Amino acid sequence: MDLTLDEAKARNAEVITEALSVYPDKTAKKRAKHLNVYEGDKPDCGVKSNIKSVPGVMTIRGCAYAGSKGVVWGPIKDMIHISHGPVGCGQYSWAARRNYYIGVTGVDTFVTMQFTSDFQEKDIVFGGDKKLDKIVDEIQALFPLNHGITIQSECPIGLIGDDIEAVAKKKSKEYDGKTIVPVRCEGFRGVSQSLGHHIANDAVRDWVFERPGDRPVSFESTAYDVAIIGDYNIGGDAWSSRILLEEMGLRVIAQWSGDGSLAELENTPKAKLNILHCYRSMNYISRYMEEKFGIPWVEYNFFGPSKVAESLRAIASHFDDHIKEGAERVIAKYQPLMDAVIAKYKPRLQGKKVMLYVGGLRPRHVIGAYEDLGMEVIGTGYEFGHNDDYQRTTHYVKDGTLIYDDVTGYEFEKFVDRLQPDLVGSGIKEKYVFQKMGVPFRQMHSWDYSGPYHGYDGFAIFARDMDMAINNPVWGLAKAPWNAEQ
Amino acid sequence: MTGLRQIAFYGKGGIGKSTTSQNTLAALAEMGQKILIVGCDPKADSTRLILHAKAQDTILSLAAAAGSVEDLELEDVMKMGYRDIRCVESGGPEPGVGCAGRGVITSINFLEEEGAYDGADYVSYDVLGDVVCGGFAMPIRENKAQEIYIVMSGEMMAMYAANNISKGILKYANSGGVRLGGLVCNERQTDKEYELAESLAKKLNSKLIHFVPRDNVVQHAELRRMTVLEYAPDSKQADEYRTLARKIHENVGQGTIPTPITMDELEDLLMEHGIMKAVDESIVGKTAAECAVA
Amino acid sequence: MSQNADKVLDHFSLFRSQEYVDMFENKKAFENAVPVAELQSAVDWTKTREYRDLNFAREALVVNPAKACQPLGAVFAAVGFEGTLPFVHGSQGCVAYYRSHFSRHFKEPTSCVSSSMTEDAAVFGGLNNMIDGLANAYNLYKPKMIAVSTTCMAEVIGDDLNAFIKTAKEKGSVPAAFDVPFTHTPAFVGSHVTGYDNTMRSILEHFWDGKAGTEPPLVREPRDSINLIGGFDGYAVGNMREVKRLFSLMGVNYTMLGDNSDVWDTPTDGHFRMYDGGTKLEDAAAAVHAKATISMQEFCTLKTLAYAAKKGHEVAAFNHPIGVAATDRFLMEVARLSGRPIPEEITRERGRLVDAIADSSAHIHGKKFALYGDPDLTLGLTGFLLELGAEPVHILASNGTPDWEARVHALLDASPFGKGCHVYPGRDLWHMRSLLFTEPVDFLIGNTYGKFLERDTRTPLIRIGFPIFDRHHHHRYPLWGYQGAMNTLVKILDKVFDVTDADTMIPGKTDYSFDIIR
Repeated sequence: MDLTLDEAKARNAEVITEALSVYPDKTAKKRAKHLNVYEGDKPDCGVKSNIKSVPGVMTIRGCAYAGSKGVVWGPIKDMIHISHGPVGCGQYSWAARRNYYIGVTGVDTFVTMQFTSDFQEKDIVFGGDKKLDKIVDEIQALFPLNHGITIQSECPIGLIGDDIEAVAKKKSKEYDGKTIVPVRCEGFRGVSQSLGHHIANDAVRDWVFERPGDRPVSFESTAYDVAIIGDYNIGGDAWSSRILLEEMGLRVIAQWSGDGSLAELENTPKAKLNILHCYRSMNYISRYMEEKFGIPWVEYNFFGPSKVAESLRAIASHFDDHIKEGAERVIAKYQPLMDAVIAKYKPRLQGKKVMLYVGGLRPRHVIGAYEDLGMEVIGTGYEFGHNDDYQRTTHYVKDGTLIYDDVTGYEFEKFVDRLQPDLVGSGIKEKYVFQKMGVPFRQMHSWDYSGPYHGYDGFAIFARDMDMAINNPVWGLAKAPWNAEQ
Repeated sequence: MTGLRQIAFYGKGGIGKSTTSQNTLAALAEMGQKILIVGCDPKADSTRLILHAKAQDTILSLAAAAGSVEDLELEDVMKMGYRDIRCVESGGPEPGVGCAGRGVITSINFLEEEGAYDGADYVSYDVLGDVVCGGFAMPIRENKAQEIYIVMSGEMMAMYAANNISKGILKYANSGGVRLGGLVCNERQTDKEYELAESLAKKLNSKLIHFVPRDNVVQHAELRRMTVLEYAPDSKQADEYRTLARKIHENVGQGTIPTPITMDELEDLLMEHGIMKAVDESIVGKTAAECAVA
Repeated sequence: MSQNADKVLDHFSLFRSQEYVDMFENKKAFENAVPVAELQSAVDWTKTREYRDLNFAREALVVNPAKACQPLGAVFAAVGFEGTLPFVHGSQGCVAYYRSHFSRHFKEPTSCVSSSMTEDAAVFGGLNNMIDGLANAYNLYKPKMIAVSTTCMAEVIGDDLNAFIKTAKEKGSVPAAFDVPFTHTPAFVGSHVTGYDNTMRSILEHFWDGKAGTEPPLVREPRDSINLIGGFDGYAVGNMREVKRLFSLMGVNYTMLGDNSDVWDTPTDGHFRMYDGGTKLEDAAAAVHAKATISMQEFCTLKTLAYAAKKGHEVAAFNHPIGVAATDRFLMEVARLSGRPIPEEITRERGRLVDAIADSSAHIHGKKFALYGDPDLTLGLTGFLLELGAEPVHILASNGTPDWEARVHALLDASPFGKGCHVYPGRDLWHMRSLLFTEPVDFLIGNTYGKFLERDTRTPLIRIGFPIFDRHHHHRYPLWGYQGAMNTLVKILDKVFDVTDADTMIPGKTDYSFDIIR
């Protein structure tokens, strides 16, 4: 049932029309702008993005709080992140993102804990600033080894007009200039997680980089100092990346923000190069550091050996021959492992078709890894991408790929049903929908509790996981034999 | 709850809304009606004349002290005043913090859950000057107040406010049963006040239910934290309130869906009655110096 | 390089290889890491009585609570009705969280939509979001009913669901007669069990009291049927099926009000069922005529039961009944209300449970337990533990009220095994951590988050509660009925034996007790 390119394009266009036909006119008009069949020679994917989700359609998106607390700030391990407002937001995001870290939780590190101001009605009516003030005192009493505090605003904070900045300043003064960061990431701001990333980046700028007072750096600079930006260390991704950078001769002085610490944020102005994995969530602070401290930044992609090698060379190009040789040495060292992984899994995965729908960078970044295994991505889209993401995506996708921005539950189900991929990669909310349909699935936010997927070590796991999903014998059992003709 | 009349007094701040409502309700009580007053203004002064008290402990302040409203009992918040009028104050935060509108929602939900309305003939909500957010519209939602009485005067701002409140009522009148019961004009002795109030009422598809003349006895009573009905029951002013009370009592089911007017229409109305002069468009936006040259 | 194509190393072994261990150590130089000695003394300090006192003096900060917010309970209650799409009015991120939370527990899809309110709606109100949202949800997902609840955002700005839904219907978002029950579920009041209660009551009110004024209220014509409400329950799939089995055996004429057992246990057969099973809408309406309404979880249904009582139902409330006596009480009440005798088959099941307890209770008798969870579950478990001769020491519910506390005390006071047990309403798992350090117990019962307590305090965790993310399929097995109590007993016993085995398996040192028969 392999279609020619033209047939596939025609089918994809038809699928879009079909999906749109069910919506009320007003909504169909809006959604039409987010769906497209990619034309291979165009400079972007031809979809609108970063626009409000339509009510009632079952968007997969989250909110600004999720972007700040859940993504950017939450993984900073030696700071305490207060989910400020009612109990739910912090509860549902408690320890669910798998931002791995080293530390004694509850004593010197706090990532997998849920600190909340647990707003009650009286806090809404009378305001929560006094409570927040007391919370900081209680944190200092019970968790004295914390290196800083962030206040992650939930919806009510902005609605009732609490002045968390004033509280942060006051308490910082009381505790000898302690870093206390108010973050205005109320869930109703913006259209998705994305604005939360931006707000969180700005909070780093305003309350870490630009706050008064000296913070002496505890190490001697070298010419090879770099910072990893935009790796949240899900299942250890940043570690399997860091090890390659160090092997090629670079010194990583900061991880943003997986397994990161406040000190590492403060170290970063000393970096010679910021290397940026998740462009979407941390381009803002990278641009700021470029402007303010003159630190250049380079995007990289550590999914799959082709992209890893390409990226190592691109990073090395910012340094001298010592590093360039180091990059070649690292690529050569891991080549046999990569050959063995591909030799083992490619024959089992060759020609398999994949549809993706993920968050910040993965809708494009992982395509190379699939291609290394002989697989083909036939549809992809972003939960909260912007136009620059869709431009970057053109470097990865093929002519005729189905593109869907802020896909709705209905559309995604319809697209998968019609395109019949061999694998869908998306999130927990989508996972079971497709498994019920008998379509193999991998969660591409949490790595389905596996990982790391970054770097060479990660690719072995990635390949194994895709194989175990697609070639799981269970898919042959979905139909009862007495209903087999169906 | 059969026969329960739920009414609300809205009006611009400082218009004498609380005074008018308390005197009127005292008169209704005199007629043998069982009254419950629900103050929905964070100032919490809707019941002081009935209770002879400076300020009543509010639902929200008691709830904050106890932990939550679930920890309160009805008797903690309900006080008995003149002629057994039952009084509660919602209360709310200091200006500039928190969310007073949410406080109104909280309080009314609490009262309903606790059966505060049982046995009452009238529930009267006394609400802050303007419907500034969803919380302050709570008393006019469906199954809450059926009739709104807008307290106003012949002053321009009071009329603007009355018109705005009508807009709020209209919004809810379509989906629920709330109606405009009428305007109550509290005399400020401005020019042609009665006529103006009458015409505004007509424009709003309502009526001037009563024109309450100004009388110093109101201030005397107020100083003693009393209604006129109690302080000087034989005064002429007490009779005015009795008249208003009777009119409201007989006004059951006579409310209308208001037809708020545009700002231009309102200004026309004011000009018609000579309250406002027609604006000379040629001077708009000109400084004193520019005008002098012209 | 330790990674290997033949035997791919996962994160839990990969990062233990020397190259990574060295890397972690070197990274510390950039972390401003706390010196080892200082860290160790802080670790030890958190185990002290002094720290516990400081911890219990907290007034504002909440750390690791065992409760969620109202709308989660609203979604739970809504999906128990046939073809019902929960619609949460407010910010959209909340809905993403509820759906993820349930999917991680039940390993099932959870369908729910948001009205996706943003900053402009915060200022102008969410009416347009309601109008468009209902129209889209109705056209796309073809529900039989849309159950509306609210996030804290909509509650703070004071959106009026009743008025909004009426307006949306006038504008043609959904047909005038389409069922859209609604309830306000502010996240800053109560917890998920409150949201369940509010939503369940609102759905019943919708059907029984004239659908928001659009029809005359139903007039009750008393019949002999029994309504059963399960409450917010992580074991809904297993428990509801078990109750239905027992009712069928007894021949009770019943209506489950909210039946989540199918929608959260759909087959993998090539077909995605957005809706499956659930209480039929006509049954929900007809339930007004029932003789009685039984709640399996009193604290999840305070308002709902009061409403049913007002309608003239006899009402009976249980607290997540687990064990012999609790199940006896439940079945006898059902028998009394329905006039149906308890059949021999169920009596045999009871006997088998008593038999199993007699066989095994020696391994549980006198063991000390700490437990936490929702108010009803902790009551149900406490009753069962006392029945087994276990000694509860700490019982905690973050969403426990003073009423709950009194109820637990009454239970404890009635048993010699309940002496010296303390009850902690409104406390969190960081409090529990201090309790486990300063007054250690043999076992901890709680949800998945209990594993952090197990790690820190080395108290073996028996996973009973919600959510359970890190063990699979437990929700398919009931805790209710004699069979359910049997499952619970086995769960406890397995952990007891595993711990004994792990404790006695050092060759030549402790393995004299590594018995083959226990």
